[in-house]
Amino acid sequence: MITNNYRNHYTFGMDFGTSDFKFGPITCGENPHIVNNRGYFPDRKSLVYRAFESAADVIVGDEVPLYLQSNEDLTSRLVYPMKNGLIDKGDESAWKVVGALCQFGLDAFPATANNGFHGYNIVASLSAVSPRYMYERLLELFKHTHSGNVRAVTVIPQPFAVAIGHGVTTCVVIESGHGNSQICPISKYPIGSAQVALNRGGGDANAITAEILKDSGYGDLAGEESLVRRVKEGIGLIPDDLDSAITEAKRAPRKFRAKHKVPGTRVEIDLEQDSWTRFLIGEYVFNPNHEIFESYFSRGMSRPRDVKMGETTFRGMLDFGDAIITSVEKCPVELQPMLYREILLSGGNFSWKVSESMEGVAVDAPTKIKSLLRKKGIKNVSVKMTTSPQFSVWHGCIIYGFAVPEDYEWDWQRLEGWMRIGS
Amino acid sequence: MMGNEHTLVSVLTISDIIQRNRIIDTLLHLSSLRAEGTQPYIAAPRLLGATLDSQILRSSGIGLLLYDDKRIEETIKPEPIHRTTGTHQTSPSSSTDTTLIAELAALKLMCTELEKNMSRMMTEIKSLQESGTSSTTISRDSDTGRALGLLQRPDATFQTGVLDAGALPSFFTNNPWLDVLSKKGRAEGPLLAG
Repeated sequence: MITNNYRNHYTFGMDFGTSDFKFGPITCGENPHIVNNRGYFPDRKSLVYRAFESAADVIVGDEVPLYLQSNEDLTSRLVYPMKNGLIDKGDESAWKVVGALCQFGLDAFPATANNGFHGYNIVASLSAVSPRYMYERLLELFKHTHSGNVRAVTVIPQPFAVAIGHGVTTCVVIESGHGNSQICPISKYPIGSAQVALNRGGGDANAITAEILKDSGYGDLAGEESLVRRVKEGIGLIPDDLDSAITEAKRAPRKFRAKHKVPGTRVEIDLEQDSWTRFLIGEYVFNPNHEIFESYFSRGMSRPRDVKMGETTFRGMLDFGDAIITSVEKCPVELQPMLYREILLSGGNFSWKVSESMEGVAVDAPTKIKSLLRKKGIKNVSVKMTTSPQFSVWHGCIIYGFAVPEDYEWDWQRLEGWMRIGS
Repeated sequence: MMGNEHTLVSVLTISDIIQRNRIIDTLLHLSSLRAEGTQPYIAAPRLLGATLDSQILRSSGIGLLLYDDKRIEETIKPEPIHRTTGTHQTSPSSSTDTTLIAELAALKLMCTELEKNMSRMMTEIKSLQESGTSSTTISRDSDTGRALGLLQRPDATFQTGVLDAGALPSFFTNNPWLDVLSKKGRAEGPLLAG
């Protein structure tokens, strides 16, 4: 055939997010399949394990809930390998989960060899701060375990995939997940030396929400992580300016009242006169430096700390405005205006609701980023959410796999190209 | 037209990449008009260059022009066709043409047949799934644990796709990265097809 139909059919994307694994071939269309990025190591002595005697060492995908046992059991047996975007070099359990997820993804889309199929061309996407050994381990996994279904593999950083999926070649991508956030300038390729990582994500918004619940008399509920997350999503707001928002919320408490009914239960949370605290939830994600948070730190809430993981230092208290400026100012001066003109926000931690009645006081994530940059003198800025925040990394993987020539071989110095696995 | 020579150019656009059989149709069309001209070309966006098989174009004597916003480059020269003066004379190239056209027509027919078969199989699979759902019973198999397991486990095999064969998802539309990425590993200068 004249056109390369192979890539039209057998390009396969895998996005290893902090909480979800998104995967599927190009033929999935707009949306890939999703399972939790986690694996369960069953107790081999348990009755449940014996009932499923064909079960593997590690269970991944939709079957995980069938094996779950007591809560105490979960902490040791349920492994989220990329909770912080990184896997320790010697964390064999985490790598086992990643291997099982790769196999699960491929097995979910079997292809027959007599249909011209010689294996998928797989594009896997990892966190931008992934050290070289993560690339090595992931590529090794495909080399040794999946040779039958895999023709070639490559790995690209998630912010790069976001930019590709969104169709922008010069931009700053901010990817914010549960555990951390990454700021990555891109000009036809990620500018690695200008990346900034923050040790702050959706999990920190959960932490301040739990403190607010305790202060409002719901301490008994503050320990349930999934409930706290729902409350955060239900009542949390991003203030344009925190001081003005608190003043306004205290002046008109009915308008800003924070109430959340837990579906299917009798539980209803009502912050009443403390409803102004709902603005702290959003502010904390974007800027934890306001003096109001000191009272929470002094009462025992952990302050986001600088953490060194691999070769990267994840900054704890740097606000998003300063983080973007720090990142952009590491790039050539003539590129900087172009980067500010295209800032892309990706990841679940930027999905905040804004009620029309609160417009101007509560804002969405792009408006907040603009506001933080304006306060630091950066004005000609365009900030957008990616059109498909959940799937933009997978979209980028698919486009990358389709477009990059198959004879472009893997280069360990550039960390790009195809590593040939099968025939 | 230059002197006694004609040049035929069929232009493909970016949107053609997502249309099934568009390139085959173009090649068939060019081949059918070869009696009228001696310099048949396909002009394609530079992006598409990486997906075209130069060998097939060369063997059929069709030239390739790659274009973008800035320039047009002749990547493959066409093989000239010499007109025959008598109906009884047949040159080797016209014989190749006839064979090529016949082969392409056969391929097109096979493709249509395959699509029909695929569609019929999908219908059959769907009806099997429906009948399976409506007749679920708990097995009295001695290995009850395993039987329950089979019933309760989610089906981990998904449909292989929602797109028609050869179609591309909407996020490919006007994506400038297709052009950028297709040049990966290519040295500056004329692009080579295939």
